[in-house]
Parts: sequence; C-alpha cells; structure tokens
Amino acid sequence: MNDRAKNSDDHLLAANVVRAVDVKKVFKLGGEEVHALRGCTLSIKRGEYISIMGPSGSGKTTFFNMIGGLDKPNYGQVFIDEVDIASLDAFELAWLRCHKIGYIFQTFNLIPVQSALENVMLPMLFSGMPEADAQDKAADLLQKVGLGHRLLNKPTQLSGGQQQRVAVARALANDPAILLADEPTGNLDLKTGEEIIEMLSGLKDDFGVTVITATHDHKMLSVSDRVIYLVDGRIDRIQRREDLRITVGTIEEGH
Amino acid sequence: MNKENTILDDNRHRKKIGRQVQLPVSNAIKIAWQNIRVRLGRSLLVTSGIILAISFLSYILCSDAIAKNIAGKANQHQIEQLQRDGKLTINSEDAKTQTRWMVGLALLVSFVGVLNSMLLSVTERFREIGTMKCLGALDKLVVELFLFESMFQGLVGTSLGIIMGLSLALGEGSLTYGSAMTGLVPVVGIIKRVGICLLAGTLLTVFGALYPAWLAARMEPISAMRLEV
Repeated sequence: MNDRAKNSDDHLLAANVVRAVDVKKVFKLGGEEVHALRGCTLSIKRGEYISIMGPSGSGKTTFFNMIGGLDKPNYGQVFIDEVDIASLDAFELAWLRCHKIGYIFQTFNLIPVQSALENVMLPMLFSGMPEADAQDKAADLLQKVGLGHRLLNKPTQLSGGQQQRVAVARALANDPAILLADEPTGNLDLKTGEEIIEMLSGLKDDFGVTVITATHDHKMLSVSDRVIYLVDGRIDRIQRREDLRITVGTIEEGH
Repeated sequence: MNKENTILDDNRHRKKIGRQVQLPVSNAIKIAWQNIRVRLGRSLLVTSGIILAISFLSYILCSDAIAKNIAGKANQHQIEQLQRDGKLTINSEDAKTQTRWMVGLALLVSFVGVLNSMLLSVTERFREIGTMKCLGALDKLVVELFLFESMFQGLVGTSLGIIMGLSLALGEGSLTYGSAMTGLVPVVGIIKRVGICLLAGTLLTVFGALYPAWLAARMEPISAMRLEV
C-alpha cells in the first residue's frame, strides 16, 4: 500500500519531464541587446513527441537548447525531471546530460576516430559502466537500429543515414528520459530522413522516451504529438496531433 | 531561501541527481592514442620538430661532456698529441654563448610548433569536444585527452632525439679522439645530460599543450550544435 502510494507520487512528479517557466534570454550582439526569448512557458509530458518549429531568428534554437540543458535562461526557470537546471553545478550538469538526455545532431557528430561500437559505448563509459557491459549493450542497441552488421565500421565508412542511426543508438545508451534532436533530418535525403523520423517515433513507443526536435521538416509533423510554433521569441501557437492532419493537408494543397 | 527553493531541494534529494564520475585514465589514454593514429601525418611533423630540437640539445651537451672528460682524464701524452693536431680545443666563452642561443632557439621553435599544432587540433575538433561534453565528459577528461596526445608526441620525439644526438656525439668523439676515448666515455655525465634532455622535452610538450587543452576544456557543450568554426 505504502509502496503504491509512493509510486503514484513519483509518477505525478515525473509527469512533466521538462517544464519551462517564463523563460527569457537576451544576447548581447555588438553592444546591442537581442531578445531571443521573451517569456516562454511550456510543459512537456513523459513520452510525448514534440516538434519545435519557427523561422530562423524566432528563438527556436535558443529555446531548444534551453530545454536540453545546454543553455541557461537570464530569467525564468527550466526544470528537467522537476530539477531546476540553474541549481546544478558542473558535475551534476554533466551527470544530467549523460544519464537523462540523449542528443542527436543535424551533423551526426560521431567521434570520427572511433568505430560505431565505440561511439555507442562512450556515454556508457562516461557513466561508469564496466567496459564489457557497455560493449554488450552497445552491440544490442546497434542491432536495434539495424546496424548489427557494421559494428566495427568507422563513421567515414558509413552513409549519412547509417551515421544518424549510430547517433540514435548512442543517444539511447544510458536509457535517457529525453531524446533531444536538433534538425535530425537536415542533412539527409528524403527517404533516409523519413526512416529516421519513423525510427524516432518508434523509439518513443518502445522505450517510452520523450522526443523533442527542432525542425524545419514538415514530414516531422505527422508523428508529433504537439508542434510548438515560435515567432519572435514567443510561443505563437501549439498544435495538437488531432488538429495537425488538417493543417498538413492544407499546406500540401497549397503547394 | 524561498519556499520554492526548499521544495526544489527536497525533490532534488529524492531524485538523486548524481555527480558525474571521471572516466578512467586508461580510457583517456586510449582515445588520445586513437586521435594520434588518425592524424599521423601532422603528428609526425610535430614529432620530427621535437626530434631535431632535442637531438641538437643532446648532441651539444654530450659532446661537451666527452671533450671535458678527455681533457681532464687522458694521459699527458695523448692530450699533447691531440692538441698538436688541433683536435682538443677548449671553446671560448663567446662560442659557448652562441651555442646556447642556438639551442635555446631550436627549443623555442619546437615549442611553438607543439603549441600551434595543438591549437589547430582544438579548433578543428570543436564539434567533437562539444559532443563529448553533451555525452557527459568532464572538463578534466578533455584536458587529459590533449595533454596525453601531446605527451605521446613528446615521448617519441624526445627519445628519438636523444638517441640521435647521443650517437652523433659518440660517433664524432671516437672519430676525433680515436684511441684516446677508449675507457674515457663519461657514463655518469652523459646520463645526467640525457636527463636534462628528457626534462626539456617533457616541459616543451606539456607546456605547449597546456593552453590549448585549457581552451578545449572551457568549450561549452552547445558548440556541438555549431555548424562552422
């Protein structure tokens, strides 16, 4: 009974995996103040697939970095798993990035000197996992993303799509709560991009991770639970999946 | 402390945000070694610079030690013979100063070479460093990676340089002094001077890599997202 109560309590606490409260960010560019974010509030639930869209200069990247624990706001708070990231020191932040967040980049960002297997092992070694265990788990993850036959290949010996698959496996290494993907299809062709999107959406269901992407890619919209549109440093509108189909339809008709 | 902060601390305690642990040094050495192997060309270039500077230093020091030993310990007959042939001359103060300057310059050039190559390494790897930090690497690991990389080059360069300089000094000595040198190789003196060369080589590479490594460690994880330098 006690246990159950505790569990449901934990569950409630964990319901919002990311919470941004009135986040503001000002950059100084050549003596001039640039308001990248003018107060954004957003809660993201565990297991959601969120796309952040917006033209360049809209603060999309800044907001994305903020909720990924890569940047700190000037004003307001960002909670990841209900922990205010501003309260963390360098060691705790590194731990958070290592254990709670999996990063996927537009430019794949594999370590060029390491094999696919070693790349996926790296975050596990950082987390203190013994090498043999890390190796087994990395091989398993690469198998899951369909690269079981290319474990020992270096990134340069892999295609773009394959590199991004390795990056996805690496992002999953420490069973993160959040997958943070910055334009994950930006450097891929249409078909490969679709495969990656499909994979990310599948991971959401299989691993229960929360996927947050910053994107221009309209293919991304159909798998998103919510799409956040940023304009001029503010959240302009949020579209839910139910409303999305229609919108995508009109966009396609318009072309 | 307001109420919100107290709740926060409470949560934080319950959630147990951990503190990131340092990757074992053996892993850092392994990655540094991989980095060297991949950039072997440039690495060899830097190493050859170190080899030249250190071999020059060790040649000067060791041949000086050999000459002094012979002047002090060979029998009178042999010394007279060598002086008559003009082979045993004690260098003037001027010549010594000049040599010191040249050795100093050689070391400086090689130091700048190390510094330059490590700086280049850091700037071209900004994305890699940022990515590693996103994956949970601590500043200390980044510093270690660059220091180890430089130390590998330093170790190889210094050892080869010492071997080269010492063999040159010994070869030249035996050609010049001939039989007078038999039994008069100043082993202890040479070991001392080899030690000096080792120290010089180590300082050269460690100090050359220190600033670039510090720059790399300060890099924000966000730099992994940057598209160009």
